[in-house]
Amino acid sequence: MKLYEFQGKELFREAGIPVPHGRLITKEEELRLVEFPAVLKAQVLVGGRGKAGGIKICKTPEEGREAFKSLLGASIKGEKICALLAEETADIKREFYLSITIPSGSKSFLLMGSATGGVEIEQVAQSAPEALFSLLIDPIVGVMDYQVRYVAKRFACEVEEARKVLTGLYRALREYDATLVEINPLAETPKGLLALDAKVVLDDKARWRRSELFERLAEQQAAIGGQAVNISTDTITYVPLDGTVGLISDGAGTGMLTLDLISDAGAKAACFCEMGGLTSPEVMYSALERTLNNKNVKAIIVVLIGGFNRMDEMAEGIVRYQKEKGLPVPIVVRMCGTMEEEGKRIMREANLKTYDDLYEAVREVVALTGRNS
Amino acid sequence: MAVLVNRDTNVLVLGITGRSGRLQTKVMLDYGTKVVAGVTPGRGGQVAEGVPVYDFVAEALKEHRIDAAISFVPARSAKDSSFEAIDSGIKFLVLTMEEIPDHDVLEILSYAKAKGTTVLGPGAAGIISPGKCKLGAHPPRMFTEGNVGVVSKSGALSYEVGKTLTEAGIGQSTVIALGGGPLWGLTQRDAVRLFQEDPETKVILLLGEIGGTTEEEAAEFIAQNVTKPVVALIVGRAAPEGKSLGHAGAIIQGNRGTAQSKIAALSRAGAKIATTPKEAAQIIKEIRGE
Repeated sequence: MKLYEFQGKELFREAGIPVPHGRLITKEEELRLVEFPAVLKAQVLVGGRGKAGGIKICKTPEEGREAFKSLLGASIKGEKICALLAEETADIKREFYLSITIPSGSKSFLLMGSATGGVEIEQVAQSAPEALFSLLIDPIVGVMDYQVRYVAKRFACEVEEARKVLTGLYRALREYDATLVEINPLAETPKGLLALDAKVVLDDKARWRRSELFERLAEQQAAIGGQAVNISTDTITYVPLDGTVGLISDGAGTGMLTLDLISDAGAKAACFCEMGGLTSPEVMYSALERTLNNKNVKAIIVVLIGGFNRMDEMAEGIVRYQKEKGLPVPIVVRMCGTMEEEGKRIMREANLKTYDDLYEAVREVVALTGRNS
Repeated sequence: MAVLVNRDTNVLVLGITGRSGRLQTKVMLDYGTKVVAGVTPGRGGQVAEGVPVYDFVAEALKEHRIDAAISFVPARSAKDSSFEAIDSGIKFLVLTMEEIPDHDVLEILSYAKAKGTTVLGPGAAGIISPGKCKLGAHPPRMFTEGNVGVVSKSGALSYEVGKTLTEAGIGQSTVIALGGGPLWGLTQRDAVRLFQEDPETKVILLLGEIGGTTEEEAAEFIAQNVTKPVVALIVGRAAPEGKSLGHAGAIIQGNRGTAQSKIAALSRAGAKIATTPKEAAQIIKEIRGE
């Protein structure tokens, strides 16, 4: 779950990171409550907001009203601006970058910092790689004192200032089950370090133990009319594509392999629908439903190779769909693996053919839809 | 010998009384795997598929020698159950479940490393040494004894390729399915190292997919350390950009994580590139001079 800046800052404040005083504005009359000069910031989830003109410094209430009118309802990279964050201005001496993430393939948290903040970190990596530094934080040990001192040295700031921000950032990461916490820029001001922005992504897999937090944040997002939070109720990955072969698989690797084989055979998939490797007849049923909702689909290939997944249950899902809704396009089912004898029996009794060989199944479905389709 | 497991590996099943745990225990036992004990909190004293069930790992260890554990517990209990296994001295732990919170996965991996436990997974289909031991969900008929070491992220793809190899008369020394990521205990690089060291493995087959950089890391290791022939198959050549295809880690971001970049890296490292499982089987036959 990706959070808006105002939500991220609320969490940062709770975690002890200094942030500017601010107020969320969705109606013009709320500007009365804002003290000027102030910064008005478009609340969107896409990056690159500053460059796109989504941040305006306003010296007077008049400038504030003008900025409000030009921003609210406008779009940044296709995302509509539904709310603004009005904040006190800061007396910025220097700007830093600080984040903690979980990189792909990592076995620790990764802290990244840069003494030149305010620009995208990818840019810093290109233009001033010497300004970048990183530390691994062991999830069991947490932030060590030497790591605080190291960050203070790289930022050339007081150790206690670095400690407040770093321990606060780590606390936010841990207490909210975040997969990303980022402050860019982290400003040095006469009053100390101040987080001028907040980027936070929470781990949807931890929703069950943070249900109050997730609900509160989802309500906030719904209240400003922003992007709806999708809560998936099953294990299906459905990606629409531009061909005519409906592709359903019970494994990501075999799904991708079949996608390649379809492409090699000169045809194109209409979708990539992967059900997860431990799934139920209901999921098989709804995978067919989703795929058949795609009107470009001329024929379906179902690629099943059960390990955890049971072929009797997959057959049940397919047969039930055929009985209840009917199959408006031809279906080619490759079925093998756990409980395959039982699965094939269920399919036979419903007069549905199964294939054992993947290549033969792909040839069959491509013959049905035609090449270059 | 085989990699990580062998004929004499005594296995503990965590979450043995759950629906999936019970079925997979039965299939493992039928295959000949020595499943000696199971653990489900609150079910101590019961018997599942003929296997005694204990409340705690330590209680099972009092009665049995245990070399490896495979876990089918729900994602919510994964951390607690894994820490218990690690604390009890289990040295090889297979985590089959998906959807474990990232923080819990990191803690499990960090703790396991500190205590000297090898973790396969999470989200792993497991490991099979055909004819010797099956510690995972592999459908038995797809595999046959031989000398090709196979490592895959995807479980399903490892079954598919196992099936193709077996039908082509090519047996496997060990087949390892690591999980779809994006966080892993055992990696492709680790598996390749184990196969290089295993005298029984003559050819290494690496199955990769789009996303991340673990194939590139394996390629670097292959270039520097591997003397055995390596064949690589990367799926997702026809994948669109910016979409996760079933595995959280399987995503092309801009020009990063493409099949092409992985194929190039592996090719530079000296691996022979196959585009389909059948082609992989053909290349292996050529390498063996058949």
